[in-house]
Amino acid sequence: MDDRDLVGLARGGDQEAFTQLIVQYQVPLYNMALRMVGGPDDAADIAQEAFLRAWEKIRTLRDAPFKSWLFQIAANLCYDHFRRGRRYGVMPEEDQTGNVVGLGIATPDPQERAEANERNRLVRQSIEALEHDMRIAIVLRDVNGMAYDEIASVLRVPLGTVKSRIARARAQVQERLRQHPDLFPSPSTREDAHAE
Amino acid sequence: MPSEPRIPTEPLLEELSAYLDHELDASAQARVAEHVAGCQSCQARLDGLRQTANAVRALPMETPRRTFTIPAQRRQAWRWAPVGWVGSAAVALLVIAFGIQNLHLLAGSGSTATAGSSANYSARNPQRATGVRAASPLASPAASALDQQFNAQAGTAPVNASTVADPTNGSRRLVLDTDSASYSTNGKMRVTIQLEGSPSSSANSADQGLTLTLVHNGVGVALNPVGVISGNGTPIFGGWYELPSLPLSGPRAGDYRLTATWVVPDGSGRVLQAAVAVQLTGS
Repeated sequence: MDDRDLVGLARGGDQEAFTQLIVQYQVPLYNMALRMVGGPDDAADIAQEAFLRAWEKIRTLRDAPFKSWLFQIAANLCYDHFRRGRRYGVMPEEDQTGNVVGLGIATPDPQERAEANERNRLVRQSIEALEHDMRIAIVLRDVNGMAYDEIASVLRVPLGTVKSRIARARAQVQERLRQHPDLFPSPSTREDAHAE
Repeated sequence: MPSEPRIPTEPLLEELSAYLDHELDASAQARVAEHVAGCQSCQARLDGLRQTANAVRALPMETPRRTFTIPAQRRQAWRWAPVGWVGSAAVALLVIAFGIQNLHLLAGSGSTATAGSSANYSARNPQRATGVRAASPLASPAASALDQQFNAQAGTAPVNASTVADPTNGSRRLVLDTDSASYSTNGKMRVTIQLEGSPSSSANSADQGLTLTLVHNGVGVALNPVGVISGNGTPIFGGWYELPSLPLSGPRAGDYRLTATWVVPDGSGRVLQAAVAVQLTGS
């Protein structure tokens, strides 16, 4: 049963169908919110509110894809969150990897694991430093893996704007990461080292 | 009349970025490719953008600590609740949607088990033999024994489940479940992990990029999942784990988190994680 079928059932009041949509989108939606607002509790609040509003408004959803519509609701909630000034731009230093301890298994060497954690922390910080419009563009693209036209639909902006925001966001993140050449060596440097 | 330049115009930043994502039209994609092939400077710019995009994509997909739900009645006040009990409704749905269906298919299809013994597993994965304590399911499950385990559980609905969908591939899901949310420290825990839509048909967890950990107070024990391929082609991993034999530290009773991490073996670096809470009771 695909999204369209589930939405059709949910429009008729079928809560089980809507719960399947929640199951399908809860992790990507939560991670989008997490990368936007930083704190896991705020991100979970936004995801919950997005699902609740989607449920309440699902009868107004006609031909638009559910995924884009749901992410649009969540994106608006992120902007509301910023407007309210709650933890604006703050990326708590609390352990955000508490739910991903299993990843350590892939790099059991303590030094490798520490470096991977530090790289992830710097990437999160670099995303956090972006202006909101650029932040959400790179998050939808590189965290959620959305196509440009899908992002344009979520953000309700032209395709050219999506291209521009993603490119500028990547350039700014790159500039920040380059300040840590030990963890993010420039590709040319790595090639030189490899050649030696 | 001036001749055409041999190398097309230097692409703008946004063109290079979109080129990386294959989001240019065919002619622009070809033009940028041609330019980059002959321009070291733009090759370096492109490599830098690629490195940055990969760094962002490498951020782990995290599992929310709470379950999302909708109220029984519209506009009714709602509130958060721990995954364990409000999640039961969603879990029940998960079972209906994903669990029972596959398990029934498995039961009726004469599955083939191809996993090696835990000793072979360790030999193939020396990095997993260090730094993290590992535990295997009940002694060296033979193919037929594993079949029997899964066949036996086919009629028993899992009661503690979590499903994570791949945001880039609607048909790919990681489904983790246990047969209970609470066990005696002297009991046995049944774990099942389904890798729906896996690009690999291997029943070897290392080939699949699958790890399973049981974590308590920040200390993890790696569990070795053994695998079979179900009748519908879905790799299914897991087994029965004797809890007294697990090298758990400190008081064994307490709240644990069982996490399955799947680094999808398609070279994308995409990581799916599913986690369930597990409580151990007793001494």
